[in-house]
Amino acid sequence: MLVEKTGTMKTIKLYFSFFTLFSIALLSSCEATLAPAYDQAIVEKVTASSDLAMRFFAEVEGGTESESFTVREPVYNILIGAFESLEIQARARPMPKSVAIDKINEMLQAKGSNNITGEYPSAFAFEKIAETFKKMKNTDKQSGLKILALQAFKGQVEIYLDQALTYESFLKR
Amino acid sequence: MPENVTTIITDIKDIASGILAKDISTIRGFSERQVEAIAKQTVLIQKGVESGDIDEDLREFFLDGLEAMALNFVNTLKGILMVTLEKLWNALVKFLYKAVGVVI
Repeated sequence: MLVEKTGTMKTIKLYFSFFTLFSIALLSSCEATLAPAYDQAIVEKVTASSDLAMRFFAEVEGGTESESFTVREPVYNILIGAFESLEIQARARPMPKSVAIDKINEMLQAKGSNNITGEYPSAFAFEKIAETFKKMKNTDKQSGLKILALQAFKGQVEIYLDQALTYESFLKR
Repeated sequence: MPENVTTIITDIKDIASGILAKDISTIRGFSERQVEAIAKQTVLIQKGVESGDIDEDLREFFLDGLEAMALNFVNTLKGILMVTLEKLWNALVKFLYKAVGVVI
């Protein structure tokens, strides 16, 4: 009896979900845009900047001494500038607003979940990469960089780069 | 069930499967890379602290970094899923409109 009741509930929920989705589709009445536009310039700039970052990590992989910091300072500045400008470019794109998103958010809120709009994951990653290079630069200036600290800086940059590149490339529908 | 209803259901399933199969393989690859990289980063920080290569100040910085990376990993997944949802949505709406004879 209980099994039968659960089965009926599931069927009702399934029909309800399909009906809701179909209603949203009709209400939105045209193609929906739920994510920002793809920007080839951003992808190209990330690729070039990540190239430069990885070459820099390769140059200093054995560790650094603070005495030779001035030699590396210009590269730090280029990298910090590049990723800060990428953050601005990524955030400058308007976040799409559509009837479909509003309806999905209403459904999510009714179920106690967070909205689907919000932060650009790539912009956040660029911001964090710039912060990582700033911290690396200050540490290098003050005391030089030890091998494992360098590897940890590199690891952090790589993880954020993967997040940013995966997201930006995926925007190409 | 009428034959045209069965055809519509099959077509919708085919459209959805085609989009999902491609996108889910990208999502799976990204998730696996990220989980592995974050795990390696954790071990690296641990070793750096033990060896003294990572001091107290850097330890705090990298620990905050781990937290932010994990958060953005989830947000990236959410962002990617939105694109998949958009593709799915538009393909289905296009098909449904075509099925009832509306040009969009």
